[in-house]
Formats: sequence, structure tokens, C-alpha cells
Amino acid sequence: MDTEEKKIFELLREVVDPELMVNIIDLGLVYGVTYNEPEHKIDVDLTLTSPGCPMGGLIIEDAQQLIEASYANFEVMINLVWEPMWSIENLTEAGKEALGQI
Amino acid sequence: MNQIASQNAPSPRVVIPHYVFGGLTWLAVTLLIVFNPDAFTQHFFNPELLAITHLLVLGWITMVIFGALYQLLPVIMEVKLYSEPFAISSLILLGLGAVLLAFAFWQFSFGAIMFVAATFVVVAVGLFFANVLLTARSSTKRVIERTFIITSVIWLLFTVLAGLTLAINLAHPFLKTSHIELLKLHAHAGIVGWFIQLIIGVSSKLLPMFMVSHHVNTKKLTFAYYAINIGLIIGVVSLFIQLKFGIVMSAVIVVPGIFSYLSFIYEAYKKRVKKQLDIGMKQSAVSFMVLVIPFFLIFSLLFNFKFLNNLTLPLSVAYGSAIVIGFITSLVMGQTYKTLPFIVWLKVYRGRVGKVVLPLPKDLYSEKVAIAQLWLFATGFVLLLLGISTSLTNLLISGGTVLFLSAALYNFNILKIIFHKPKKI
Repeated sequence: MDTEEKKIFELLREVVDPELMVNIIDLGLVYGVTYNEPEHKIDVDLTLTSPGCPMGGLIIEDAQQLIEASYANFEVMINLVWEPMWSIENLTEAGKEALGQI
Repeated sequence: MNQIASQNAPSPRVVIPHYVFGGLTWLAVTLLIVFNPDAFTQHFFNPELLAITHLLVLGWITMVIFGALYQLLPVIMEVKLYSEPFAISSLILLGLGAVLLAFAFWQFSFGAIMFVAATFVVVAVGLFFANVLLTARSSTKRVIERTFIITSVIWLLFTVLAGLTLAINLAHPFLKTSHIELLKLHAHAGIVGWFIQLIIGVSSKLLPMFMVSHHVNTKKLTFAYYAINIGLIIGVVSLFIQLKFGIVMSAVIVVPGIFSYLSFIYEAYKKRVKKQLDIGMKQSAVSFMVLVIPFFLIFSLLFNFKFLNNLTLPLSVAYGSAIVIGFITSLVMGQTYKTLPFIVWLKVYRGRVGKVVLPLPKDLYSEKVAIAQLWLFATGFVLLLLGISTSLTNLLISGGTVLFLSAALYNFNILKIIFHKPKKI
């Protein structure tokens, strides 16, 4: 992950799952970030804790608008992915603590 | 890429009126309990109790369930709701039907009003039935939750058709079986076939989702499905032909099925990622604990213990009240906090991220009010149950009054959620 991709990754900490009240990075929902400067494109691979998650649309919208606000001339794509399926192992230490796992 | 559930959500105009009508009906029912406590101290086949029960199960519980299902079917089946006009027509007919039916029972009049009311309810359920089946048909998700929901809706249709038949039979008797036994048949088809199966279908998908529980054993649900439906069919036939052994067998088969479902929920609870339960989930947990009471009562009543002979009638009323008020009402109130704030939140904030201050769905209602509502509910329910079991009118009035306060707080929070306005940055 290059410096810009790390920045985007950190930026996404501001997106919170409204049901779990934990940000999507600590939940381990973001699988990857690709920053393509020559083509002015940013791709984010993101999953949800459950395929039926009623808040999915809002999380995606939130992530998209947040990146677009910081990278005005870039085309931002949020790709919803289901492989590998999200599991408890995806949680960071901070995520586990926020959910009362630790 | 899968379609995400929020893209399939129906218009909030379809869903929200169900909660408003249901909440106000529950408030009205608590007042009817306060001013008519004697309804709970007589044989259960009395005008006031029949009116209160039908208002409760149709105007409150079924009404909120219809509204919530229009929102939840797209989540569970991952498709759009088949028809919003069907849903709105069903809402109007169910609301009118429930009020008219309660009025007809109160008057103990089995003429034109009752027939019209029962027809309204049957048509409302018919529209709902068509909407659920046509939505399910377009879904490729062949999961046990879907099977429970479809089967529960079939039992609902059977229940209301049996109710209509009962209404006709009361005015123009043509069935040999006694009204009391037919009423038991009608009630159990509704309680077990419709409410409990629907609750299993919806909650077995939603509760693990809310608690973020993965890898819960769904074989328990498959066992529950067959046990409940086989047991219920045996029970309905046995009640109709008056076969006591079949009735006992029915309970012996159904109850382990429900326990199997409870074991699934407990496993989901144990495997939950989100350790702390919010207020909606706490009230739901209370409702599951209450289920112990009707389980105990049904076997006490079926085995006809001599020392309970004088208590058979009050315990029958207590049994019904423990299921309808103690379990189902409590669960509906709890799950309101898990559904309505999300529906309104999506309506208000979709497309406005970054333009307004974004609260969490739980910020749309007062948690303190919800906690007070839960405690008042638990107190009111215990008083009501004691009042029914002892036939003490003062206890019933106290129970009804405390439940009224709980229902008033519940309505306060519903209105607070619905009239939520976003704050500009």
C-alpha cells in the first residue's frame, strides 16, 4: 500500500457502521484501496458484516462522499465484495475493544 | 455484485403509518383494560375480552408486523417488495376491519357489522398474502427463514378464514363442534401458526444480524419448522374432532420445536460479536424469558391437575395474555427500536451525507424513555397476570394503568422518531 492509499485508508476511519457504532476500518470491512494517479481513479473494495445489512447503502454512500471531498478530480469506485466473507477475525484490536470482545 | 438491501427498501410512506396506527391501538387497548377489568375475570368467551383481543392482535400486533415486514422482506429475500399499492390498501382495510370487529364483539352483535368487518380483515390479509408470495417468488434465496415466513402467512390466511367461518356460524349455526373449541382452534392457528412462526422466520435472520453472530446452527430451525407445523396440524384437526389425546400430542410436538428455535437464538446470543445489548434487544430478551410462563401453563391446563380445577378459567386467560401481551407485545415493542429508527434514518439521511450532522439511528429516540417504558411494561404485565390469576379487580386496574403509562411512553418515542428533523452543519 503506497502513502496515498494509506491516507485513504485512514480517511475511511470516519465512516461508522450505524448499527455497531464502530468505524469500517476497525470492523475490517475495507479489503483494499487502489490509488491510480495517472488515470485519476480510486477503487475501494468493501464488504458488509451481513449481505442483508440494511445500512449497506449508507455506508457506501458515506465512504464515496468522504473520498470525493478529499480527491476532487478523481473518479471514486466503491466495490461491494462478498469474498472472502466477513468474519470476527477481520476486527482490529480497537474494533474488538469497541464491541466488548476484549 | 449483490444488490444491497437498502436499495430495495420500500417508501417510508408505506411502512410508517402501520407503526402509528399500531402504537395508538396498543394505547387504546391498555385503557380498555383499565376501564373493563372484569373482562379478564370471566370465561374467555365474553364480549369485552373478545373485542380487546381482536383489537390487540389485529390493530396492534398484526398491523406493526405488516409494516415491519414490508421493510424486512427486501432485507431477508434481497428483492424489492412486489406492490406498494397492495400494502396501502391492506393497511386501510386491516385498520377499519380491526376497529369494526372490536365494536361488533363489544356489542356482541353477529350481524352485518361483524360480517363486513371480518370481510375487510380477510381481504386485507389476502392482499398481504399475495404481496408476500409474489415478493418471495422473485427471490432466489431458498432459506429456512423464507419458508417460515411463507408458511406463517398461509396460517394467517387460514386463521382469518376460520374467524370468518366462526362469525357466520355464530349467526347461522352449521358446525357441530362447540364454539369454545372452534375459538381455541382459531386462536392457536393464529398464535402458533401466524405469530410464532413469523417471529421465528424474521428473528432468526435479524437477531443474528443485529448481534453480528455467524455460524449459528440452522438445523435447529429446520427441526423447529417441522415440529411446529406437524404439531399444529394435529392440534387443529384434534380440536375440530374433539380428540383429547391429539390435543396433548400436539403440544408435546410443538413445544420442543419452539425450544429448538430458542436454542438457536441462545446460540446466536452466545456467539455474538457485539457484546452489549441495546434497549431494543433488552426488551426482546425480556419477551423470550416470558415464554416460560405459557409453556408452564399449557401443560398445567392440558394435564387437568385436580388442585388446579378451580383455576382453569383464570389460567386459560393468563395463558393467552402471557403469549399475546407478555411475549408478542413485548417483542414488537423491543423490535420497534431496531426497525423504525432505521427506516426514518434512511429516509432522512439518504443522499445527505456530508450536508447535515449525521446522528446514529439510536439518537432518533430517547433511550431514557425507552428504559422507563420497559420497566413499566414488565411491572404492568406482572400485575396484570397476578390480577388475572387471582381475579382481583384492583390488581387488574393497576396492571392496566402501568401498561397504559408504558404504552404512552412507547407512543412518545414513535412520534419522536417519525418527526425527526436533521440538523444542518
